[in-house]
Amino acid sequence: MIEFQNVCIRAGDFQLNDVSFEVGSGEYAVLMGRTGRGKTTILESLCGLRRVQSGKIMIRGMDVTHWSPADREIGYVPQDLALFPTFSVAEHLQFALRLRRFHTTQIEHRVSELAEMLGITHLLKRQIEGLSGGESQRVALGRALSFRPTVLLLDEPLSALDAETREEIQTLLRTLTDNTGVTTLHITHNAAEATALADRRFHIVDGQVIEKSESQTQEAEELDSPTG
Amino acid sequence: MNKMLVVMLGSIVALGAMIWMLQSGSQRGNSTNTAGGDPTEPLMFFCAASNRAVMEKIVADYTEEYGREIELQYGGSQTLLSQLEVTGTGDLYLPADDSYLKIAKDKNLVSEMLPIAKMEVVVAVRKGNPKSIQTLDDLLREDVKLVQANPDATAVGKVTRRMLTESGQWDALDKGTTAYRTTVTEAANDLLVGAADAAIVYDAVLHTYPDLEFITLPEFAAGTSLVALGVTQQTRQPSAALHFARYVTARDRGLANYAEHGFQVEKGDVWSETPELNLFAGSMLRPAIEDTVKQFEKREGVRVNTVYNGCGILVAQMKAGQVPDAYFACDTEFMEQVPDLFPEPTDVSQNELVIIVKKGNPRQIAGLRDLTKEGLRVGIGHEKQCAMGWVTQNTFREGGVQQEVMENVTVQTPTGDMLVNQMRAGSLDAAVVYLSNTAGSGEFLDAVRIQGLDCSVATQPYAITPDSPNALTASRLFQQICSTDSQDSFTAEGFRWKLDTEPSADNE
Amino acid sequence: MSEPTPNRTAETKTKLKRRRSDLPFFLVMSGISSCFILLIVLLLAADLMFTSFEDFRAAVMKPEIQSAFRLTILSCTIAALLSIWVATPLGYLLSRYRFPGRLLIDTIVDIPIVLPPLVLGLSLLILFHLPIGGWELEAWLRDDIGFPVTYRWPAVILAQFSVSCAFAVRTMRVTFDQINPRAEDVARTLGCTRGQAFLQIALPQSWRGMIAATTIAWARALGEFGPILVFAGATRMRTEVLSTTVFLELSIGQLNAAVAVSLLMVVMAVVVLVVLRVLGTGLTS
Repeated sequence: MIEFQNVCIRAGDFQLNDVSFEVGSGEYAVLMGRTGRGKTTILESLCGLRRVQSGKIMIRGMDVTHWSPADREIGYVPQDLALFPTFSVAEHLQFALRLRRFHTTQIEHRVSELAEMLGITHLLKRQIEGLSGGESQRVALGRALSFRPTVLLLDEPLSALDAETREEIQTLLRTLTDNTGVTTLHITHNAAEATALADRRFHIVDGQVIEKSESQTQEAEELDSPTG
Repeated sequence: MNKMLVVMLGSIVALGAMIWMLQSGSQRGNSTNTAGGDPTEPLMFFCAASNRAVMEKIVADYTEEYGREIELQYGGSQTLLSQLEVTGTGDLYLPADDSYLKIAKDKNLVSEMLPIAKMEVVVAVRKGNPKSIQTLDDLLREDVKLVQANPDATAVGKVTRRMLTESGQWDALDKGTTAYRTTVTEAANDLLVGAADAAIVYDAVLHTYPDLEFITLPEFAAGTSLVALGVTQQTRQPSAALHFARYVTARDRGLANYAEHGFQVEKGDVWSETPELNLFAGSMLRPAIEDTVKQFEKREGVRVNTVYNGCGILVAQMKAGQVPDAYFACDTEFMEQVPDLFPEPTDVSQNELVIIVKKGNPRQIAGLRDLTKEGLRVGIGHEKQCAMGWVTQNTFREGGVQQEVMENVTVQTPTGDMLVNQMRAGSLDAAVVYLSNTAGSGEFLDAVRIQGLDCSVATQPYAITPDSPNALTASRLFQQICSTDSQDSFTAEGFRWKLDTEPSADNE
Repeated sequence: MSEPTPNRTAETKTKLKRRRSDLPFFLVMSGISSCFILLIVLLLAADLMFTSFEDFRAAVMKPEIQSAFRLTILSCTIAALLSIWVATPLGYLLSRYRFPGRLLIDTIVDIPIVLPPLVLGLSLLILFHLPIGGWELEAWLRDDIGFPVTYRWPAVILAQFSVSCAFAVRTMRVTFDQINPRAEDVARTLGCTRGQAFLQIALPQSWRGMIAATTIAWARALGEFGPILVFAGATRMRTEVLSTTVFLELSIGQLNAAVAVSLLMVVMAVVVLVVLRVLGTGLTS
């Protein structure tokens, strides 16, 4: 469903060459690697926020390499969440739907549906200032999923959370993706998350994306990160 | 998002409203029409800020009396000059002193300069002269803080430096000067706030400073400047601009205001809406100055009544009491006959006598001597009636042929034109006239030059009656007569231009 | 292993002693700051003592001053609004996008700030009167469009705008630099065009910056004098603004009137600054 074909991307100092991989429809893929190796870059090019030098990016079989981000129907949750400071929680959930000119009643329905799924109904009227880490994470997820995207991209969604909240969100992620069937690409450097969530595992090694099995992932993790 | 739209729209509405307010405000300002209801284009007047107090009153009076609006632009003299140069607009320019007008004239920005008042270089002190400053040495005292206006940027500074450099006292004064200010008013302001005890300024600047007084020093006696109003070259309304300029420099209008404000005003003309200038001119000058005078009338919006006649006749009229504003004589002899009327004439041009004969010179006249030939009918100018006649007699006498030629003289006329006509009619064989009289008659006359006799050349002087109520206007007419176009006129008519330099405004 | 040293004993006895105070810090900081505050206050006090209430009232009553006051308020506000309208998109472009010539544009925008004011005024004058093969901007505007600029009120606004916009662009650029561009990126993935992302996400976050930019622009326009004098002239009742009034009064030695008008300008400035500050905090609360 997501397919990278010989994609070359230049990002700052380094270069990703001949990145080729594919993630099937509905699969939960985890992308791992040391920080600064290009994981975010890959997400950004998938979104359309970064230009690729060569190669093709396919979503649902369509060549979207030159499409604008708005047309790609991708839900993106960046590492710093990038919530809209002047919007209320409800407005976050409504945003994508308003853009697509849904009817007010339809929007209300969807928003309450999402809020329930994410457990943030009690937060709808609040401004985002002062929300806890977990609450913000849920809002970001809700925003990304509001318009039922084909693809969901998560950039280190759990790294800023405490252990307990991490568990909660992890479960939430699993539930959400199972229920909606959205193809997910999840970036992390934590092997445990991969174990909990991943259907497929990819690693960035020397500017290339390589798929690994579960055991290979464990090995790689031990070699890569001294703390594990 | 809605809030944003509201603010954006609101700001556009506010913007529109304010622009409308400004536009309607300025329309109201623009529509001050003349009493007759027809809007005249206002005159644009670049005025030095230091003249503001007195000029505003004059402009108000003028607008009330004549309904024409004057747009006043204030600024520093140099800045105003730059604006004149860059924009190519502007009808009048009044700088702080006339050195700027000279610069403007060199740049061909200003054509007429009308004098207003004299300014002297003085030392300003606070009222009561607390530091008892009496002499130049007092200025150099330790306890006296002296400020001056910058000698490179201001006229008063320039004048002071020039004066004192000549007398060798500049260096001492320079050392004793605490500070140099960029304008003369800044120097005066320093005195007011107490930052200085003495300032070298123009006396005119101090008329708006009631708390200051001034002392004059003998060392500064040579330092005078003129406040003068310039009319621009590029003005699209020369008569209107000159009308106003004359108003400002009229002794019973603008100059009265200046005098009230403590200026040492110049004499000035008497105000008249359409002044009538009376000019007496020798008739031979007519072809040379006629067009110039017409152009002058047109540009200034004045009337010049020119009386052309033989100078002898003109002098008789003057002696009988008909005194013109200006007199342009055919020869200095006839100017010297009325010395009390015209104390300071200026020699303008020269015209030589020639002998005119029928084309082809059938009687073969080659010089004066040939005029004594038997049976020749010779015509000359009347000795008493015109300069030409008098010069002719001198020439005959010097040439030693007076008695013999006089025997051949059949007619003596008051003007050379009459002789030319008689030559054409055939009633004369030869005549002695001015070279200028022969202009245009080349088809049927030949001219024979009279060699070697200086007195055969007449010199034409111009003079203005000092008491004339239109003295300034007459002097502007003179400047017009001295313009290059006019000089060309003279030369084309056969005159030789004598006056070397461009005469200055103090040629009254 | 206890080898009691005198220090140690003293230490164990007096562990919780207040040794350091923050007082020196506050003294030094406020000392330095108050020098500047004091200077401004003294300047104002000196002005106040120089003039009297009668002078002030006499000056304010004059119709020319009132006309100048009206023109000042209108022109400064118009110039500030126009500045904000131009500075916001320009600041956004300079902040978000790397385009060829960006450095050049950046430098050009700063030129009015660095130029001496009289140079700016003269340049404006020359621009409007430069003959380009027989065609002149000012003549065309005046004759064909019926909208003369030089020596009229549009010249005042143009002169003010030239400088205040430069300041406004700087402020808006810094404002947008501080707004997380990721939010706009996310907005685009959610379906926004760049324009929508700008209008709906970036702009609302830049309120404070816009207020600050408007304040700076307004203040700069109020203080502008040199370019106005050269380009718009100082005609009473037509292009005289309060800053040129002070110059005109000074140039004939009317210090009292000059100071009175200066104080009027101070009052004006204070009022506007306070209003804008209240607006700024009010909007973001």
